[in-house]
Amino acid sequence: MPGTPASRPKRQVAGRAAAKPKRKAPRGSAAKKTLAGRSGKSGQRAPASKKWRYIASILLLLLAFFSAYLLYLNQIIDSRFEGGAWALPSRVYARSLEIYPGLALTREQLVYELELASYSRSENQALAGEYRLLGASLELHSRPFQFSDQDQGDSVVQVFFDAGKVIAVVDSRAGVDLPVFRLPPLILGSYYPQSGEDRLLLSEDQVPQRLIAALVAVEDRAFFEHNGVSPLAILRALWANLQAGRAVQGGSTLTQQLAKNLFLTPQKSLLRKINEAFMALLLELRFSKQAIVTAYINEVFLLQQNQIAIHGFARASRMLFGRGVDRLEVEHLALLVGMVKGPSRYNPMTAPELALERRNLVLKIMLAQGLLDQQAFAKARAAPLGVAAQLPGLNPFPAYLDLVKHQLQLSYSSDELEHRGLRVFTAFDPLVQQNLERGLARGLARFKQPELQAAVVIADYLNGDIQGLIGDRVTDYPGFNRALMAQRPIGSLIKPLLLYSLLQGDLTLASEVSDEPVRIKQSNSIVWEPRNYDRQLHGRMSLYKAFIHSYNLPFISLGVESGGLEALAQNLAKIHLLKHDVVYPSMLLGTTEMSAYEVAQMFQVIANDGYFTPLTTIRSVTDQHNKTLSRIPLESHKLFDRARMIQVQRAMVGVSEQGTARYLAERFGALTLAGKTGTTNEARDSWFAGFSDRLLGVVWLGRDDNTPIRLTGSSGALRVWADIMELQGFSAFKLTPDDSLAWHYIDIENGGISQQGCANSVLLPIPQGRLPKLRSRCQ
Amino acid sequence: MPVINPVATFRLLAILLLISVCAACQTPEPVLDNRYQRTIEDTPSASPTQSSSQPVIQLQNQALAAINEDQYQLAIDYLQRAIKIQPRNAWSWHYLADIYWRTGQYPRCLAMIERSTGYAVADDQLVMANTELLEQCQ
Repeated sequence: MPGTPASRPKRQVAGRAAAKPKRKAPRGSAAKKTLAGRSGKSGQRAPASKKWRYIASILLLLLAFFSAYLLYLNQIIDSRFEGGAWALPSRVYARSLEIYPGLALTREQLVYELELASYSRSENQALAGEYRLLGASLELHSRPFQFSDQDQGDSVVQVFFDAGKVIAVVDSRAGVDLPVFRLPPLILGSYYPQSGEDRLLLSEDQVPQRLIAALVAVEDRAFFEHNGVSPLAILRALWANLQAGRAVQGGSTLTQQLAKNLFLTPQKSLLRKINEAFMALLLELRFSKQAIVTAYINEVFLLQQNQIAIHGFARASRMLFGRGVDRLEVEHLALLVGMVKGPSRYNPMTAPELALERRNLVLKIMLAQGLLDQQAFAKARAAPLGVAAQLPGLNPFPAYLDLVKHQLQLSYSSDELEHRGLRVFTAFDPLVQQNLERGLARGLARFKQPELQAAVVIADYLNGDIQGLIGDRVTDYPGFNRALMAQRPIGSLIKPLLLYSLLQGDLTLASEVSDEPVRIKQSNSIVWEPRNYDRQLHGRMSLYKAFIHSYNLPFISLGVESGGLEALAQNLAKIHLLKHDVVYPSMLLGTTEMSAYEVAQMFQVIANDGYFTPLTTIRSVTDQHNKTLSRIPLESHKLFDRARMIQVQRAMVGVSEQGTARYLAERFGALTLAGKTGTTNEARDSWFAGFSDRLLGVVWLGRDDNTPIRLTGSSGALRVWADIMELQGFSAFKLTPDDSLAWHYIDIENGGISQQGCANSVLLPIPQGRLPKLRSRCQ
Repeated sequence: MPVINPVATFRLLAILLLISVCAACQTPEPVLDNRYQRTIEDTPSASPTQSSSQPVIQLQNQALAAINEDQYQLAIDYLQRAIKIQPRNAWSWHYLADIYWRTGQYPRCLAMIERSTGYAVADDQLVMANTELLEQCQ
């Protein structure tokens, strides 16, 4: 290296040796002399030419090394700058809220949804990403959005409410009523790369020119003149630092900063500075100024939230101001530009005074550079910071996100999820989730058991959408997801499918059964003597009555003697929930372990008249450019006989009217619901699964250490379920008409035909031609 | 000018009256108690120009327009939105079945027809349309 102690003597020697022959020898003779020297025939001039060759070789070697070095740097630039420079987290979107007249939605619910989507309230005419309250109505200005099926521009829509419903939706610009308006979905979370970086990318034409102007004015005024490195800036910084006696000014250009941020480590060393300078030169050689400044705007670190580093102006703008950079006021831009110098020091959330001071300095520079006139400067300087009171939570719904990831991983690698910026559109309903969380909190407060854990799944059983999910009593805790992972015995929740299996034989709901002791000799010669939960025997009764009171013994004896066990195993296998190859009689009591999610799948098919629709969180996935990668179509498979399933549903309605869940009838009166309680040995697990006109809910309560919770399905999960459903608001469940069923009043004590108004008579569906022969006396 | 025979006209009216009375006699008995069963009024099926709700009509019409332009995926998207709003609308399921028939996805077509038929309470037009489609998808 020139100037280094090692290289200096070599250069001097070479210089002297080379000078002499050059002076004496005529031009053009060097080659010859060299050849003569090589052959040993030219004695005196040989050492000089040998030195020349030596120097040339070294120079060539250096040139080759330098070229290789540049190629190496260039390759790094290629791989990161051009080949998808950034790891982009995948965004997970909630469902789009379809707003239409007749929709059950209050103004408060819409405000909640909008604020979750980072809309801000305005008193004046709303800008994109804002809403305002106008009397009993709400006007919102939606942001443009690329749906997976079409692009939707921004819209100004006024929504009118009355009595808990939307009564009109008006396009404010055109002044016409809309039959339906699709609100762009909110982001419910992201899958971040290992590096913990979060960013939104802007393309070159999306970067506002005034942002570039402000950034250049503050960070690198000669940006448009230099070629990546500015010697003048380096000297100026050197002088300023010498005068101050410490580092007060940097000499790096924007391009150098970009090179450092993108390709190099923050380590301070001469080698890093050299690499940085050459990379900056290469960047300038290969890319336009606009491309470089856009990359800078996407790359620069601006904010830290918990474990996630927020990079780029676009994401920081969304986080701090709830809007895109194209919608920012000048004082907002100035704050963001000011934060580049010290994201922690000038963080407006933690150091608002310093941030304000820095913002005003940036405004002053903008004024001095002619980017603002005096009036705009004064207005911006007087404005508050204008940042959100609290940064939006990054993943406030961890259990749901976990399930989405679980389902995504069947088709996408972790690398794709964490780096490729996928857009995942889900069925998540923030309003359902809000009611779920509130209802759960209210429900759990009844029991005063801090160790009591919970898992809840809420789904639309008609189309398979999982709308809400909870995997921990602390709903935003991103730990063990019990709704998905906790496998627990389901107790009597098995009985609806078992009842279906029994109805496949000769039985009807009116069939008379016995609640008598059962002894089953197992293959290991041990005799199993199951009992009812209340340890009582109840004699003879209709199958319907045995079901609604969840008596075990009739179902065990029928399951073992009437082929119900084998049929149950086959039916479980149909919906992919048969967990063991060997079938045990204890399965009839629900010893099969399932997660709340799996239980929800089992009840989906029961609630939906035997149509199996796979429960899903995902509806479609696109890449970052909105190219569709996959869609989950609406599936429907008829796996079970509808008429039999309707009989099961009727029995489940009986559970909520007269049986173990009659609490629902007491609480909701005429609003018919269908459900089933489940309790496991020593009350370790408390289950309830039930459905209304459209919503299916499954609640599990228990402890992680599997100790008894002293709650049955009826005294525990059922109460929580009711608290949740009451907040959801629901319509009564009604059975689908089926011509193969005839409705008759049946005496539930003996299964005989009875009359309306008689004691113990209930209206039950009986398959045509299988009316019981017994006539029951009216009492 | 055709000559009107009063006797023949009277006979025709009498026959029509008799048929209507017999038809009324054959109508199945109404459900004794409709607390549990979904009645015709509860079922928001029928044609998109009748009892479907306004947003569903809008989405179905957009889907039909997309079908006519062979944009089947877009049509599916519209219909899935319609089903999300009104999941028991038998016509939405029928149109989905129609798209799956057009695109050769016969098992899906059959599954959608089953759902449509399940919700098509007292809608003869739809039942006939489903029967025709069923034959084509089988």
